[in-house]
Amino acid sequence: MRVSLRWLREFVDLPMDDPIEIGDLLAGLGHEVEGIEMLEVPFTGVEIARVESIRPHPDADKIRLATVDRGGTTQEVVCGAWNFDVGDVVTLATVGAVLPGDFEIGAREIRGVVSEGMICSERELGFGDEHDGILVLEGDYELGRDLADYLELPDVVFDLSITPNRPDAMSMLGIARDVAAKLDLELREPAITITESDPPTKLQIEIADPVGCPRFVGREVRGVTSGPSPLWMQARLRAAGVRPISNLVDATNYVLMELGHPTHAFDLDQVAGEQLRIHRAGADDTLTTLDDVERALDPGDIVISDADGIVSLAGIMGGGPTEVSDETTRVLVEAAHWHPPAILYSSKRHNLRSEASARFERGIDPNLSDRAAARVAQLLVEHAGGEAATRIVDVYPEPAESWTVELPVSEIERVLGVDIGAETAAGLLVRLGMEVSGSDPLVVLVPTARPDLTRPIDLVEEVARLYGYDQIPETLPHGTGGGLTPDQHRARRLRAVLMGAGLTEANTLGFIGASDLDALGLPEDDPRRATVRVKNPLSEAEETLRSTLLPGLVKAAARNVSYGLRDVALFEMGRVFLHRPSSIDKRIPDQPPHLAGIMIGSVSGDLGGADREADVFDLTAVLDGLAVDLGWHDLSFRQAPVGGLHPGRSAEVVKGEEVIGYVGELHPAAARSFDLTGRIAVFEIEVDPLLAEPPWWGFRPPSVYPPQKFDLAFEMDSAMPAADLMAAVRSSLGDELESVRLFDEFDLGGGRKSLAVTVAVRAADHTLTDDEAQGFRHTIIDHVQSELAVKLRGGE
Amino acid sequence: MDDLDAILGSAPERIEAARTLEALSAVETELLGRNSVITAQRRGLGQLEPSERPAAGARLNEAAQRLQGLVDERRRMLDLEAEDRLLADDRVDVTVARRSLRTGTSHLITQTIDEIADIFTAIGYQIADGPEAETAWHNFDALNTPWWHPSRLESDTMYLDYGDPEDEILLRTQTSTVQARTMESQPPPVHIIAPGRCYRTDTFDATHSPVFHQFEGLAVAEGITFADLKGTLSYFAREYFGPDRTIKVIPHFFPFTEPSAEMHVSCFACDGSGCRVCSQSGWLELLGCGMVDPNVFEAVGYDPAAVTGFAFGGGIERVAMVRHGIEDIRHLFDNDLRVNEQFV
Repeated sequence: MRVSLRWLREFVDLPMDDPIEIGDLLAGLGHEVEGIEMLEVPFTGVEIARVESIRPHPDADKIRLATVDRGGTTQEVVCGAWNFDVGDVVTLATVGAVLPGDFEIGAREIRGVVSEGMICSERELGFGDEHDGILVLEGDYELGRDLADYLELPDVVFDLSITPNRPDAMSMLGIARDVAAKLDLELREPAITITESDPPTKLQIEIADPVGCPRFVGREVRGVTSGPSPLWMQARLRAAGVRPISNLVDATNYVLMELGHPTHAFDLDQVAGEQLRIHRAGADDTLTTLDDVERALDPGDIVISDADGIVSLAGIMGGGPTEVSDETTRVLVEAAHWHPPAILYSSKRHNLRSEASARFERGIDPNLSDRAAARVAQLLVEHAGGEAATRIVDVYPEPAESWTVELPVSEIERVLGVDIGAETAAGLLVRLGMEVSGSDPLVVLVPTARPDLTRPIDLVEEVARLYGYDQIPETLPHGTGGGLTPDQHRARRLRAVLMGAGLTEANTLGFIGASDLDALGLPEDDPRRATVRVKNPLSEAEETLRSTLLPGLVKAAARNVSYGLRDVALFEMGRVFLHRPSSIDKRIPDQPPHLAGIMIGSVSGDLGGADREADVFDLTAVLDGLAVDLGWHDLSFRQAPVGGLHPGRSAEVVKGEEVIGYVGELHPAAARSFDLTGRIAVFEIEVDPLLAEPPWWGFRPPSVYPPQKFDLAFEMDSAMPAADLMAAVRSSLGDELESVRLFDEFDLGGGRKSLAVTVAVRAADHTLTDDEAQGFRHTIIDHVQSELAVKLRGGE
Repeated sequence: MDDLDAILGSAPERIEAARTLEALSAVETELLGRNSVITAQRRGLGQLEPSERPAAGARLNEAAQRLQGLVDERRRMLDLEAEDRLLADDRVDVTVARRSLRTGTSHLITQTIDEIADIFTAIGYQIADGPEAETAWHNFDALNTPWWHPSRLESDTMYLDYGDPEDEILLRTQTSTVQARTMESQPPPVHIIAPGRCYRTDTFDATHSPVFHQFEGLAVAEGITFADLKGTLSYFAREYFGPDRTIKVIPHFFPFTEPSAEMHVSCFACDGSGCRVCSQSGWLELLGCGMVDPNVFEAVGYDPAAVTGFAFGGGIERVAMVRHGIEDIRHLFDNDLRVNEQFV
């Protein structure tokens, strides 16, 4: 909301002038200052003058010579406009005046006649767009006086963001009330005086929907003449961000800004039957609103009908025919209170937000409606020559009443941490317009303008706001014991391992579409297809929550490749969403954290040396290292086809007996759908199994005796996984087996292959003899050959 | 015996004159080998009188030892010289790394979350987590948001097609959900920081992302006050933005706190005098905060007469972007390595 400093000063004598200081004051009251605008006088040397006489130009048909009175002195000016007559009050740019655009006015000869100045249009003066003719003023203006005196300039405008709990603050008077309370100054409310004349109005109002419309005040003002509002009113409206239209419309807008209560002006002659009925719209009703849009209404919309049908979408926008116009002579002033949620929904549904709807949806003071209607009527009488009718229609079946809230004094210190005293607190509340009795608890009568104050805590907030948040000290309490949990520590460690392995963390948005799963080539029965759908997705391509991190990560990698990067290694840790109930709350979907990685491009070689293309084994190494680093020695890879991956280069990641994910290379077809080529190594695993507390293996002091090493080569079917051989070797011996490493693999032809391992054995308490080592060797060979269909190569 | 003296006299010069290991070996053979004077004299010892033999033998040994010592010393010198020549040949230009240690970086959002977590665990907070797909109850009702509040509309909140329609499952729009989840599951006192992902129906632009991260702070105990809130935020501002930072809190409105406030921190770039970073104001708006509304306590089964608490919530992206001078939030979600790897 735009707050004019000059307008504010009408209600409160602010002791300061510095806009920054005033801005801080307003912000300190909870009205965030989004901007401060300095409004300057856009001209110099423009005075009020009256046209005394007009004569034709001797040498030109289209221009005339006007003699004007500047308050004692007269002079002649040339004027090309024809929209004025003798006796009209106009604005005169005198010789030496400077108009907007650095346009300096000199004594100028126009076809042989010297023009001493210029009669100005609105646009030439820098306000408004009117340029069809010169500005003709109506009302009381002192001749010879500087025009700037009537334009409320210079001024400072504060653009405030009013929080939704403060409908009362959405007005000049509301802000003034806060300021006056804060600085303990007197608040001058506008005097509303109005004389009514008979006959009484015939207006009839019926409220069929008292929930939607708790109060409706109608007043008739007859005999009005549409015309421009006085300059000061136009200037104030402009400062508040409202375009002046006519004295009839401006009166309602002025009151909207001044008191914060929206009102509406109907042309009463256009209201069929001089009767209004407030009700909910029917499902098939339509209304063509002022902006010429035909709108389909629904039963959530509150509407106003006259004898012929719906004339207005209540609180939001009227329909064309009953609006005031230049021809209007009889005005019906409406000041009503509408149900805030109804206005909120209607304004959102019809996408019609206005100054009025913004106030109604927050909830204005229903006890302000009669004053708002009277204030509009007063302005119409004063500035549009109208006459207020007797008989005010005020339908208010259940008048809102003030309520009391009891505030225990101790509650203030309990919440704020500072003892400001009962008397100070009571004083602050009184300044805000509340009545306070009692000493403890304080019994506080809250005005209906403050629907936000219903509980003791709300009053504590008001006390704190006026006392000043800046007056409250800073103290630092400590928690009862902090730190990361072991699994939180392990999650950090997990990231460190991945970073050390050369992977950079990604953070992708987390929405996927069916097209992503199709691009991966997932089969129809793949569990990752059981996604959770978003009802109102950002786009069709993002219609479901991710069931896998893979699409997001592959796209991120592909984007890097498209940026010209060659080697890309990324990981992401984040929740996936599965279509099954969560263990923490059955109502919500399961959303376990996953970890995924991708590696593309080369693993760097020497300068001039060949780079090696990253492949699945770079990621099995990462996963192995990760598991060991987190204390797990039970991770293995089980050769298996995985949807979306290369059938011969993929495996399930198994921890203990549980499958926790997959590792492999993208299927070339899947890679192509993401505009990638070559080997694309990827993995995705559940994180929680790795972050669990690992078993403690027990400390073993290292042996001081030397190891014995020997190699073994076995022949077997090509399909046999190397992991089976390794496992069989490992299970052959106890603690004496120090290490087993696969060091050779080759194809023997005929569906057979050879795998060679190197084995190290070592005893804890003595140097192994050659015979002992031979014994271990035979134990291994026997065990492996009995477990697996393999044969030791080279005899025995 | 004069021969021996002569040899001993000339030997150092001859040994020193050997320029190569081969030449030195030749000199060694001449001085100490089978055909050398010393060997010849050793053979002749038997012909001496028995009484003269020990002295003569000792003299020969001493001479042989001295010569051998000189030769060994020279050989060591020549070895070192030979190694020096090898080293001189074994020269590489080490000014440019020819191999790279490829290390990755964590995401700026993760780094920021970790840093904030560390700041608060140091004063006794724990880090809490909560689901991202949530019930409307945890996201709105428990947090005192009226049923008609516009933030519930589909124009602001993403709803999920899941479960019982009565439960209204949605993507949480704020980490404040963890307030309710935590208090439901444990009695006071509570001191937690809950960082995490949030979602809103926002169009992706320079300052909005439909997915973003927040950190929620919650302290509930007997005797927690607004002064404690101010002190805690002040501590955070100093830890995160530097020891000279000050804060101001100005009144604001949130449904789940009362009183509510917005916390501003003095600009770290200009020390409060006004610059581009702070839009000339000298202050940076950082987060929303306030005292936990009694209605929230009632919703989760805490007694508002027994405990008080404060809560605050800020944007992870916001604080990180402010501190690192990033002007477009999309940089944080594009996963361009050239961006991500700048933050180590």
